[in-house]
Amino acid sequence: MPRCVVGTVSELPPGTRKIVVVGGRSIGVFNIRGRFYALRNRCPHQGAPLCLGKIKGTTLPGKPYEYVYGRDQEIIRCPWHGWEFEIATGRTYFNPHRMRVKTYDVTVERPESDDVTLETFEVTTEGELVILHA
Amino acid sequence: MPESARGMPIIDCDVHNRFKDRQLSALWPYLPRAYQEDVREWGITLPSAGYLNGGDRGYRADAWPREGFAGSDLDLMREQLLDAYNVEYAILLGQELRPLGTLPNADFAAALARAYNDYLIEQWLAADPRLRGAMLIATQDVPQAVKEIERVGRHPAIVEVLVSNGARLPYGNRYYHPIFEVCEALGLPFTLHTGSEGVGINGQPSLAGYGSYYIENRQVRPQGYMTHLASLIFEGAFERFPKLRVVFVEGGYAWLAPFLWRLDADWRGLRHQTPWVQRPPSEYVWEHVRFTSQPLEEPEHPSHLLEVFKWNRAERTLMFSSDYPHWDFDSPTDAFPRMPEELRRRIFYDTARELYGLPPRTAPAPGLSRSAAADGA
Repeated sequence: MPRCVVGTVSELPPGTRKIVVVGGRSIGVFNIRGRFYALRNRCPHQGAPLCLGKIKGTTLPGKPYEYVYGRDQEIIRCPWHGWEFEIATGRTYFNPHRMRVKTYDVTVERPESDDVTLETFEVTTEGELVILHA
Repeated sequence: MPESARGMPIIDCDVHNRFKDRQLSALWPYLPRAYQEDVREWGITLPSAGYLNGGDRGYRADAWPREGFAGSDLDLMREQLLDAYNVEYAILLGQELRPLGTLPNADFAAALARAYNDYLIEQWLAADPRLRGAMLIATQDVPQAVKEIERVGRHPAIVEVLVSNGARLPYGNRYYHPIFEVCEALGLPFTLHTGSEGVGINGQPSLAGYGSYYIENRQVRPQGYMTHLASLIFEGAFERFPKLRVVFVEGGYAWLAPFLWRLDADWRGLRHQTPWVQRPPSEYVWEHVRFTSQPLEEPEHPSHLLEVFKWNRAERTLMFSSDYPHWDFDSPTDAFPRMPEELRRRIFYDTARELYGLPPRTAPAPGLSRSAAADGA
């Protein structure tokens, strides 16, 4: 699977995202509380740029008339029709078994070239790279 | 015996029993004395929206007995409906007193409901083993409605709790939930019948008020039913009362699936505003809600209706009703398009029998021929 350097970890702090184009496909890379995820930037419903939606929590299923907010920062809400997706799995929150958006692996790695390795060694982990496997 | 009576037994989920006279004098003995004095002087003062109806004063022109109103004579009902179509059970939904939810006086409305229910049980349900009854409640005072359901809801011939489409609040509202609680506990469906839209203390019949003519007024039925159905789903009534069943009578059927497509689609993007609605809205309907058939839509091509039946899961959600003796009666033998026997049986018999818990009376017992079983019933 092709590897694509998205940027350094310091460029993508928790709660942020970056949209990259790999092989003609638009993909959103997310840092959720220090862990990285990637979703195809196309809502399976009507093709909206899903990864531009708000990153939120949501109201959890429960008893009538009770609102419990949870899953903070784990849900992205499509900018068009408001469908909610779990960023970690790509599944729709309302019906996790029937509709999902494609996810990709993301790893954090030390730079591979000797020069960069030497530098990284000196400047701690800030130079680590976010690698998208798409 | 007419040809159709030799067909399979059917259950008719909307039949109207009436009083013989306009004064409803047969009801008076069931009212408390103080109200008897009032009705003697004033009559039973139920408001009306002022529309005409159809047919002969609202009824089939051939359904008027020699004396009294159409629907008031059990012998004629037997001849024209029960015997004519091999009706195993007919559910009586009354007529004159269904609008009691329109009355400003909650206590008088509750007294009328009690009187009607006693009258229904004694004067009708006891008279023929094929008859079952819908009990009335006055929703103006929920605690009294609950008490009334507890008082008569256990009677074996009472099979549902009846209100009108016209209302002051959509029926899913928490205001009504104590009623659902007791309906659920007693296994009685909560049933809506068309009527009382915009009458008395009820809300307007449509968002734009009153149409000028009766034919327009008939078209507010699905509007009201859509309002009530959405309310029941999104107020979480089916989550709070998982055994609650709701029946929509005489408000159309073909609108259902397109309405549910819309609800399901909207819910995907708006679920977080009512997070207790944990399943797609349509799923609550398949499980909890049933519809009666009359007046069945009549598309240009009958085959279109069969397509609608697929959309609406008619094998689960549709129950036959004739609306006898009203003028827009649907014939059990001629109103429906040709359809598979299994589907026909679901619509005309099985779904209602399951919903109302009705024991089969004419089914052959083991070792008996069909006719022998019927003779013994």
